[in-house]
Amino acid sequence: MRPLYKRRVDVARYRTMSWWETAVGLGATTFALGVALLVPRLFSDPNGVDPHDFRLAAVTLFVATVVAVRARFVGMRSLTWALCAIAVPFSLWSATPYVLTVYFRSHMNFPTQLCIASAFQLMMTFVFVFVIRLTVPEHHRPHLRLGSSGRSAALVAVAGVVAFVGIALALPAMWLGRVGIAPIAVLRDLPWGGPAWALLAVAQEIQFRGLLLGTCERVMSQRWANVVQALFFGLSHIAVQQEGPIGFFVPLVIALGLLFGWMTQKTQSLWPAIVIHVVADVAVAVAVVPGLYGY
Amino acid sequence: MVTKKFFALLVTCGAVFGTTAVAHAGDSGAWWQPVGFSGHVVSAVHASGKTVSVTVDGEQWVSTDGAVTFVSGGVAPPESMNSHDEIWTIADGRVVHGQTLDPSSPPLGSSAHLIAAPTALPGTVVAVSDDGVVWRRSSDGKWQQSFVLLPQRIGSGPPTITALAAFDQPITGAVYLATDGYSVLETSNGGDDWVRAGPGLPDAVLSLATDSTTHTIYAGTRNGLWVHVVRAIPTPPIYTDNALWWRRGGIAVVVLLAAAMTLGLLSVAIGSSSYQSHERRNDC
Repeated sequence: MRPLYKRRVDVARYRTMSWWETAVGLGATTFALGVALLVPRLFSDPNGVDPHDFRLAAVTLFVATVVAVRARFVGMRSLTWALCAIAVPFSLWSATPYVLTVYFRSHMNFPTQLCIASAFQLMMTFVFVFVIRLTVPEHHRPHLRLGSSGRSAALVAVAGVVAFVGIALALPAMWLGRVGIAPIAVLRDLPWGGPAWALLAVAQEIQFRGLLLGTCERVMSQRWANVVQALFFGLSHIAVQQEGPIGFFVPLVIALGLLFGWMTQKTQSLWPAIVIHVVADVAVAVAVVPGLYGY
Repeated sequence: MVTKKFFALLVTCGAVFGTTAVAHAGDSGAWWQPVGFSGHVVSAVHASGKTVSVTVDGEQWVSTDGAVTFVSGGVAPPESMNSHDEIWTIADGRVVHGQTLDPSSPPLGSSAHLIAAPTALPGTVVAVSDDGVVWRRSSDGKWQQSFVLLPQRIGSGPPTITALAAFDQPITGAVYLATDGYSVLETSNGGDDWVRAGPGLPDAVLSLATDSTTHTIYAGTRNGLWVHVVRAIPTPPIYTDNALWWRRGGIAVVVLLAAAMTLGLLSVAIGSSSYQSHERRNDC
């Protein structure tokens, strides 16, 4: 029986760096990001002072710049730029509607502002992809899998969308907040909001399943690389959820991260994860009713 | 080898659970508070000033001290959950304004009876049709479908909409919608957007009643009577002048310390591993 997928990357020969350095770099940077995010909350209200989490972008940018300048840190460059590619575009995405409203006195509605913000986030992500190409040696660079697709990737994408819809309907509605659809809000927001969420999903897939997963695969087995990027995917959503009951949400995000990473590795293409993520984000925007404190 | 891998995973998991715990520590308190009749079905509730009358397991109870104590007996609460129903009502499946039929009213069905019109938003009306679709009338008189409930799971239908309520004084423009399965939902902008407004409340809510004098809304559920006192969701404080700059300075210090800590750890790690990456590169 022909295999469904064809591995285009020889994984055993793909690992070119010491896993220990990358693991320490990831652990240390994660801890530093946690400190930068949470310590100020003990003494003040950074939601009023730094609502766009610029402090996370500053930590990653500072570390990545020093690592890029010093030759002894060459093994860390790919990882630190990958973490920058997550934090900096997020702050840009978060701040864009505020900047448009306050400094440009824009009268655009929020979905339109969000679409512009998502486009900026995607562009900034590609900036970091370009920076990685410029500063990281070829044998350390992550394999993005953006240029590859095929029949197996398409089949997996379609099957994934069907499975997502089926699972979303099979689970009790209150678990997910999938209680109803507001037609007025959907017709008002979807023309700009749909593309906004789609661009956001594409950026996140490039950041996590492209750059971070690709970097981790250079130093550890595919299984562990997938676990690490999924855990970081979940952690990142904790940073976003400033208030309110998190509960079910973060473990679900970690599970989705594992699934998307596994699909990317098996099909050797980022596109199935992108397609399913886009469908999921738009479906959440349409059919999940937010609670008083967020999700 | 196993020890190093385990250590790396432990650090990552610790960060996950640590930040989760801290984030949970910031959760808000209960929005709905239990009043009484826990474990009993409160199928109807009516409130006016200090007088609250409820139907619990088919029996009537009444309170004259603002739901602090209840005594058995009293008049059954009206079946309709309407607010100021002398203005907007439903007759023969159509919405009536005073004595006049609303010309653009959609057909709601012969047994439709749920309608609410917040005084704070003149002209705005929310009504529920027989088939469970929520309609809203905007201030310009146009009716649109405002909310459609989704099935609870595959093979089952959506829960029943049991009540609608709004305040008959301009306290808030919110309209509350009770369901027997999705708790309470709320719209604050005349039906454009809805949010789930039942934190702390059981999922099965059978009745709602608002009381403008005490700024409260009561919810009768399959597990007792609950109350919410209308209040604004707190907004983050706004800092000005020195307080703002002190806080920004503090954040900057934490950022620099965190970055320095990371670089220190990286230096130690790389110094001790001594260019292992060069060995693996030759295999590529």
